Amino acid sequence: MDTLALDFLVASLRIASPLLFGALGGILSERSGVFGVGIEGMLLAGAFGAAVGTFLSGYLTVGILASVVCGALVACVIGVVAVRYGADQMVAGLALNILVLGLTSYLLRSLVGGGQAPVIQVPLLPTWPIPLLADIPVIGPILFRQQPLTYLGLIAIVPLTLLLFRTQVGLTLRAVGENPTAAFAAGAHPNRVRFAAVVTGGAIAGLGGAVLALQQIGTFTDGMTGGRGYLVLAALIVGRWMPFSTFLACLVFGAAEVLQLHLQAWSLPFSSYTAQMLPYLIALAVLVMLGRSSRLPAAIGVPYR
Amino acid sequence: MRMAVSLNRWSGGWVRAFVTIGLTFALTAVLIAFSGKSPITAYEALFRGAFGSFDRAAFALNKATPYIISGIGIALCFRAGIINIGAEGQIALGGLAATWVALSWPQANVLVGIPLAFLGGAVAGALWSGVAAAIHVGRGVNEVLATLLLNFVALLLVGEALHDRLGEPGAGFPQSPLFEPNYWLSTVITGLQLHVGVIIAPLAAVGGYVLLRYTTLGFAIRVMGTSRSAATYAGFSVPWLTIRLMLMAGALAGLAGAIEVLGIHYRLIEGFSNGFGFNAVVVALLGGLHPLAIVPAGLFFGFLEAGALSMQREVGVPSSLVSVIQGLTMLFVLAALASTRQRTN
Repeated sequence: MDTLALDFLVASLRIASPLLFGALGGILSERSGVFGVGIEGMLLAGAFGAAVGTFLSGYLTVGILASVVCGALVACVIGVVAVRYGADQMVAGLALNILVLGLTSYLLRSLVGGGQAPVIQVPLLPTWPIPLLADIPVIGPILFRQQPLTYLGLIAIVPLTLLLFRTQVGLTLRAVGENPTAAFAAGAHPNRVRFAAVVTGGAIAGLGGAVLALQQIGTFTDGMTGGRGYLVLAALIVGRWMPFSTFLACLVFGAAEVLQLHLQAWSLPFSSYTAQMLPYLIALAVLVMLGRSSRLPAAIGVPYR
Repeated sequence: MRMAVSLNRWSGGWVRAFVTIGLTFALTAVLIAFSGKSPITAYEALFRGAFGSFDRAAFALNKATPYIISGIGIALCFRAGIINIGAEGQIALGGLAATWVALSWPQANVLVGIPLAFLGGAVAGALWSGVAAAIHVGRGVNEVLATLLLNFVALLLVGEALHDRLGEPGAGFPQSPLFEPNYWLSTVITGLQLHVGVIIAPLAAVGGYVLLRYTTLGFAIRVMGTSRSAATYAGFSVPWLTIRLMLMAGALAGLAGAIEVLGIHYRLIEGFSNGFGFNAVVVALLGGLHPLAIVPAGLFFGFLEAGALSMQREVGVPSSLVSVIQGLTMLFVLAALASTRQRTN
């Protein structure tokens, strides 16, 4: 395989990794019957926690922990408004995204900047090449020469799949997403399950923000997630709420973004805007093709009371 | 069906709206105090910035106009139980279409050109909404996902057009050339930047109210919002109603985009309507999905944004606080609406 194709794959995985965390969190939330529109806000909160936590404490680990906490905290808002009170999940998610956008921007200025927009620089997580494995041709540089959180995301696909499809907890979670009344009759508490799923999902999505802040950009800027949370929603549709397929969808979207970044260098015959549209168009095409059989969790968006 | 049950029972809406806003401002005051500023000084500056002079008020009214116009369409959809959040993209495409009209016939007479640009905006918005409606009705795709995904495509289409055919050569920023002055919406009062769009907004509100309250279509909307099966049983075609409502909402959003472009910037600028469509959803909800109540809700947002800018200038409180206020208002309204439903059920 030539280096161009190899670079392309490495870059795709790199760009896909924040999406991957968002998607894994989103799978938990949506499988339990709660739309993941707020993932954008959870990613942004995570990125804020990661950058500001690292900046204030000086430790990357503190930043990573802060990203998990921030993601889970803002997910609690969805838990209260959409699950506890049963408000419309989509609109609650949009509201959360607006709130987090304002709140992170405001807090950055008042916590660090004294009213002005500060420029904070944080060190990036180093690459951890895995001995021996990293030297395997092709696969080595792609899979085993990554930054630590990327490994975590890739590994997390396996336990999440097992949890969802091989355990009692996963069965209950999916049952609540398909038919909460039946799940309740079987002894589960649908809203508790949903609350837990949303908050856990938020914690995972928060890590996605940490990937963005600590592995890729090295700072926090207003709205730095730039709609990645919505891309995640599209990836969930394309991956049909299965962890591994959703990861592949994220990878394809990552590839679309790499294409967009290299359009001019590679003199491709379409504009960067068209490349950016691709993920949304693919998701729409999947929805249209599958129609009613798109396997959207049956009770998604329907409050349980 | 899902949420409309509760939304039709908006009783004591004024009380709830004021309690919601009060709670939001109380929480926000804590945030302001947290950053070491006095909330009272900050709110004073906010108030002065919003109402302090005719210029500020005109700025706020202009801000409120697109929220109100698109909010009416959103409210009609929500009342029928169609969660249509596609205004964000439809507003942008409305602006794009109006720009295309203005740049294609630069010398058109004012009385022909501006209505034509408005029409172009409305048609573009309706067509985009129609795509979502077709996917939703024809293929049973969740309407929220369809409208949400199409928003992003629409925004990128505007960017594409600005980089390609409609862009101003050598501007260095994705924007169209300035329109000829015959496409500039005239100001209502000489000397103030208050464009005629502010007259269209209340007209749209009254129109929406009359439609909902006194027409068969309005009755059908209310029945459909309460129960889809009841609507079908009463002889209304739910798919056809859905399509009509979404086209209507799209046309209003597109019109709002056209007004914004012809009334404020006199050119198309990439991202000119960022967040407008989502804010319009907040405005529609804050107004309890009642077409007339959307006017004060939209004005609240308009004045809030106008005031926040001077709050930042005078007191140094970052204007991103507006997003905090908007988000909190929306969440409180949602929770209040939903808890009313829990109690009445």
